[in-house]
Amino acid sequence: METIILQLAVNGILLGGLYALISIGLTLIFGIIDVVNFAHGEFLMLSMYFCYWMWALFGVSPYFSLLLSILIFFFIGRIVQKLLIWPIIEEPMLNQIFTTLGLSLILMNGALLFWKADSRAIRMPGLAQSAEILNLRFSYPRVIAFIIALTIIALLFTFLKKTRMGRAIRALAQDRRASMLVGINVDYHYQVAFGIGLACTAAAGALLIPIYNVSPTTGQLFCLIAFVIVVMGGFGYLQGSLIAGIIIGLVESYSGFFLSIHLKEAVYFMIFVLVLLIKPSGIMGGKER
Amino acid sequence: MKFIIKRKNSILSYRNIFYLLALITLILSPIFSQSSFYGDILFTVFLFAGMSAAWNLVGGFTGQISLGHTVFFGVGAYTSTLLYLHFGWSPWINLIGGGLVATIFGVILGYPCFKLKSHFFALTSIAFGQIMYFISLFWRELTNGANGLIIPFNPGFSNIIFDSKIPYTYLALSFMLIILFVSYLIRKSKFGSYLIAIKEDQDAAESVGVNSSQYKLYIFMVSTFFTGIGGVLYARYIMYIDPASVFNIGISIQLGIISILGGLGMVLGPLFGAIIIIPLDILLRGWFGQTFAGLNYMIYGALLIIMIRKAPQGIVGWLKEKYQPYFESLLRVSNTQELYDDIKIKTKEFVLINQYGKKGDVLLEVNKINKRFGGLRAVKDVSFYIKQGEIVGLIGPNGAGKTTLFNVITGFYQPESGIIKFMDKKITGLRPPYKVCDRSIVRTFQLVKSFNQMTVLENVMVGAFHKINSYTIAEQFAKKIIRFVGLEKSTYLLAKNLTLCDKKRVELARSLATNPRLLLLDEIMSGLNPTELNEFTTLLRKISNQGITLFIVEHVMKPVMTLSDRIIVLNYGEKIAEGPPKEVSENEKVIKAYLG
Repeated sequence: METIILQLAVNGILLGGLYALISIGLTLIFGIIDVVNFAHGEFLMLSMYFCYWMWALFGVSPYFSLLLSILIFFFIGRIVQKLLIWPIIEEPMLNQIFTTLGLSLILMNGALLFWKADSRAIRMPGLAQSAEILNLRFSYPRVIAFIIALTIIALLFTFLKKTRMGRAIRALAQDRRASMLVGINVDYHYQVAFGIGLACTAAAGALLIPIYNVSPTTGQLFCLIAFVIVVMGGFGYLQGSLIAGIIIGLVESYSGFFLSIHLKEAVYFMIFVLVLLIKPSGIMGGKER
Repeated sequence: MKFIIKRKNSILSYRNIFYLLALITLILSPIFSQSSFYGDILFTVFLFAGMSAAWNLVGGFTGQISLGHTVFFGVGAYTSTLLYLHFGWSPWINLIGGGLVATIFGVILGYPCFKLKSHFFALTSIAFGQIMYFISLFWRELTNGANGLIIPFNPGFSNIIFDSKIPYTYLALSFMLIILFVSYLIRKSKFGSYLIAIKEDQDAAESVGVNSSQYKLYIFMVSTFFTGIGGVLYARYIMYIDPASVFNIGISIQLGIISILGGLGMVLGPLFGAIIIIPLDILLRGWFGQTFAGLNYMIYGALLIIMIRKAPQGIVGWLKEKYQPYFESLLRVSNTQELYDDIKIKTKEFVLINQYGKKGDVLLEVNKINKRFGGLRAVKDVSFYIKQGEIVGLIGPNGAGKTTLFNVITGFYQPESGIIKFMDKKITGLRPPYKVCDRSIVRTFQLVKSFNQMTVLENVMVGAFHKINSYTIAEQFAKKIIRFVGLEKSTYLLAKNLTLCDKKRVELARSLATNPRLLLLDEIMSGLNPTELNEFTTLLRKISNQGITLFIVEHVMKPVMTLSDRIIVLNYGEKIAEGPPKEVSENEKVIKAYLG
């Protein structure tokens, strides 16, 4: 029994790292640009498709496609920010919400139109194995995903804290107008921030494809998880998303074993309502950003 | 001008004739709905127009974007169907029952969310919808999972199941008309006025006594109730429900799109929107079918993005804008006396009722207030008092902590220590700010906060509603105050079209309309030209003569020195001087603070 409990903890934490990466992309965009990207899940789905096709057509490993995917989605992010978000940045929140929702509809149904509703998966023989340490099984793709996800998150934190551009981006998150006054190029830095947000998601997509199937609605499912994590972590707080991501991973792992794999959404719901009732501002809410 | 007054009184104006014809067309339209295709379209148009109107109450009027209305739709549908199948309850009872259960879900979502930023609400509501989908899918014992629930075909009035489409269509039509009527009533009431004020500027609304989280929750309950009933009607019409069709984010988005296309916050907007969107949706689905599955939603998405960018005001908004200039030329009131001819109800004279004590009694007492932001002590141990009927000026260089002190007094900030007493009652840390207004203290803002999409009259009425519940009396009272501040010529203009000076007058009038004892004015004279300054000085003197105590933060020295009975000087968060204007202006510390 003890082994099972520990094994579930391992599974949960490994999964949680990936969830954290997805949510951090979302919360970064929100925290800095003050826009909720409702198309976030769709970008995850597209990245998964990209890596799938790279593998299916050219036999490229998803871990190599990961790098390409990060680059491509960084630029897609810049374009989306430049063409769709920037022109309405000063307008009421409603316009921004419905713009990203429209984008989500287009992307999801575009995927449906081109690739149909079939669910697709990568089957790589080398990846099906797992290591055993102290009676605990560590599946390779999950371990790799966890390590890469945490590395990316660490890099992101360092970038935001230590570099000049990172500091400029954090300044923008505090006050757009004041940042403009001290000479920060708002347009450009917003593009970079959006690009990084999508790049995180794209990386998560590449790491997910060896583990999960992809279909046009995959994005919605992960988007839901990301939303729950972002709300739980405190809107716009990166550390909060990291902690909440791991918590949700653990919850999913345990509830899947002790209750039923189908009830995991119901458990999210319970957590979600509890968070709303007890501390709606989230784990990190109210602290300094 | 005469035209306006006439238009209001005459039943047979063009506008009313148009409405009447439209209503007759609507009522007659279902008669031809025997054909199933036409009947389908008509039923769906009415149902979705109704539900979108319910969405519009929250999204359009109040500015809270709900992306989870499918929850209430689905909960209504499931509640009524389950009660009908398991207990044989009549669907007529379930209409209300479904609505009520949906309202309960609405409270669960709305109560915690409305205390937070509105982004939060949009995101939370969308997640709520997704989760309900999964729950209904996997709670098989209750919902029969993905197989859904089938309502047996058993025609009869008591079952709300009919052979023909006509009764259904009439049912949906009445549903829609009821919601549109309710929307209209709300729009023309204190409640609606508050909702729009919240959308325009929540801080300003709170400052004149609007309990924003409470009103947001109320309107959300109304909205979810009707959406739940919509779900019941849908279930009776389709006679089959499953998780994918009723807990579908597409429905939430569609309700939003309909309102946006028709005109957000406009009573009739959803009807116009539904007349265009629903047939289009049904046709697109028919054309593209299975081979191009998804294409119709792509068009939807593109339409949404383009519309938001190019025509955010919607159809009704566009019509209004097109004809507004014509009306505005009429609305620029030329003979003000005429405007006030229609005041029939006697409103209370503009003086303080149950004045507190005599002139000279201490009204506001501030004792050793401290407020810090991180390491910065913005206000340090500041104490002072204000007497009934006084005009007190608060001056000091930039960053002296004047606005912070204001925010502490009016409940926008919480002080670390110290006591504030108003009329001998403690008001320290009284939050949220509307509670401060309940004690008859009202403030204006440094950066002017008029409700820009409302007319001057509507702006001032928001204030008047603090003490008055009736719409007509509030309107009369607001007009009186508008005349008092000298804005009567702009009564019917939108606040966004006014000059800075007039916007400030609007804000002042709005605050006065709450009938305050103490008025806190935050740099109300900055940015005015010398003529306007003179007018404002006279106006403030006039207000003071009505018995209202004034506390003024000001940068512009001349008027504040001539107006004030007493001056308090702040520097680096500390009070450095206090006394009559002349004495203060000769104080060495003050001269040093200003000139360095």
